[in-house]
Amino acid sequence: MDVLLSGQLLFAALITGALYALIALGLNLVYGTMRLLNVAHGDLVMIGAYVAFWGLTLFGLSPIAGLVVAAAAGALLGWLTYLGLFRRLLASPQLMRRLEGNSLLLFFGISVILQNLAAMAFTASARGYQFMDQVYRFGDVALTGNRIFVLVTAVTICAAVYLLLRFHVFGLAIKALIERRDAAVIVGVDIDRVQIAAICLGFAIAAIAGVLVSTTEQISPFMGFPFTISAFVVIILGGLGNITAGLIAGLLLGVLEVYGVALTSAAYRSVLIYGVFIGILLIRPQGLLGRGSVVR
Amino acid sequence: MIAAYRPFILPAVFAIAGLALPIWGSNYLLGVGFALFSWIALVQSWTVLSAMTGYVSLGHAVFYGLGAYVVALSWGVVPMAVGLLLAGLVAGVFALVVGMPVLRVRGPYFVILTFGLAELVKYLVIILESELGSFSRLMFGAPDLIWLYAIAFALAAIGTIGAFVIRRSRLGRGLLALRENEEAAETVGVPVNRLKMIAFALSAVIPGIIGGLAAMRTTYFEPMQAFDPTVSFTIVTMAVVGGSDDARGPLLGAAFFTLLSELLWARLPQGYMVVLGALLILFVLFIPRGLAGMFAGRPGRAA
Repeated sequence: MDVLLSGQLLFAALITGALYALIALGLNLVYGTMRLLNVAHGDLVMIGAYVAFWGLTLFGLSPIAGLVVAAAAGALLGWLTYLGLFRRLLASPQLMRRLEGNSLLLFFGISVILQNLAAMAFTASARGYQFMDQVYRFGDVALTGNRIFVLVTAVTICAAVYLLLRFHVFGLAIKALIERRDAAVIVGVDIDRVQIAAICLGFAIAAIAGVLVSTTEQISPFMGFPFTISAFVVIILGGLGNITAGLIAGLLLGVLEVYGVALTSAAYRSVLIYGVFIGILLIRPQGLLGRGSVVR
Repeated sequence: MIAAYRPFILPAVFAIAGLALPIWGSNYLLGVGFALFSWIALVQSWTVLSAMTGYVSLGHAVFYGLGAYVVALSWGVVPMAVGLLLAGLVAGVFALVVGMPVLRVRGPYFVILTFGLAELVKYLVIILESELGSFSRLMFGAPDLIWLYAIAFALAAIGTIGAFVIRRSRLGRGLLALRENEEAAETVGVPVNRLKMIAFALSAVIPGIIGGLAAMRTTYFEPMQAFDPTVSFTIVTMAVVGGSDDARGPLLGAAFFTLLSELLWARLPQGYMVVLGALLILFVLFIPRGLAGMFAGRPGRAA
């Protein structure tokens, strides 16, 4: 039982949780504002990871600078898919009737394309690099530099986006769109611009998370899928479109996963994640922490 | 009245081609035919639930995988025909058991729920197999390809005729009614819960048997492969590209992707997947009624 009470495990849970909260935040922004189910979200994480990897190996770019480049790449991809696909989808009443289903199929198409293009371009083999792997000790807790980097960056970006949504006029417009789309139009929110901002922000966050992942794990073209699943579990735990609850749910899933695996074995990780996922969908589809469709 | 038999031309072409194929007898062609008719059977079964009720399943791999597992477990214990029937039975019973809670969930939640369920069962089977100390099961003495082909062909025929008949039956009318508006259908006396359960179970049986056949074809069972989510995704893609409002759609969708995969898979597997993704996007955005809808002519006319 000593292991369960150790600070080491607590930090592991916090780091995993912060990363999940960050990835799910991007997914939630895109779902909340446009009702698009982005099943390619984890593949954006993969893109971010490769940006960091190639930035470092080809140009000697530090992953810290890689964060910026990956964010820009993610935002660009978001902009392109919005202009190319989703503006059309959102404008067609016929396709809007089954918007969520259709968006899921479209994003699945994008996901398959991204994964396989990446596999063709970079080969399917796993890659990795060394970054900040010196060990720091805090009392009985030993952490490598890269894991501290992941924790600090993820928390900082989650906090920044949270503050943006709470106080900045553009963030408020995004929130308005999440809460009451029809009313937002009436009070003069430029829907198109806000949607572009939301999708660019959502994709950029995923790519940033990818850089973070690449500093601690091996990367491969098909690495994204488990992140898509975890992100969906998180936003369903918190209630779809509910940003604040999503952040808390991210931490919660991190804790559940790390302690669950510590109590059983790594083989049970997927069963645990999918079990939580199905349990929530069956028992409280509006989310454990959600209260109907209200977003705070 | 040329219009009266027009819907039957395409299925007839498939039936004749399917019956004639063994005459040429090349094993390669039989393999392609086996894949084609397996996919047709899978997609037709899927439409009974997902096209007729609007409950889009992204988890049909679970029935396929369970069928494969049943055949692998019963291999050498019972005759193969019994094993295949058991595969279908277990898949159908599984659908009935999980159907009650799962079918209460609607829309996009249902889509991701079915997907999650299939993955959960996959990982449970993996754990079960490692507890049993077996990592992949080999099956010796599988029947000749010609037999597997014949069964796949028969299942495709049953699936196609079944989908056609169900769509025109009382059951099908009820399903279509609840797709349009579940509350309204219930109000006018359609037993929506019972009908959904029946459709779910019906759509599970044939995929179970096909899964068992596929295990016999590869002569081994391995959970990651048997419960591969790509199976679920391919079914949905074939239905979208072929069109699922008509029993002809799955024929076209399955034929299209089986040919495409034969042309591209061996040379450029990742290229095939990219094309699959691009076509899915193209059809969802521009041709929502699929290939069958293009053939049927003017859009907007309900079939």
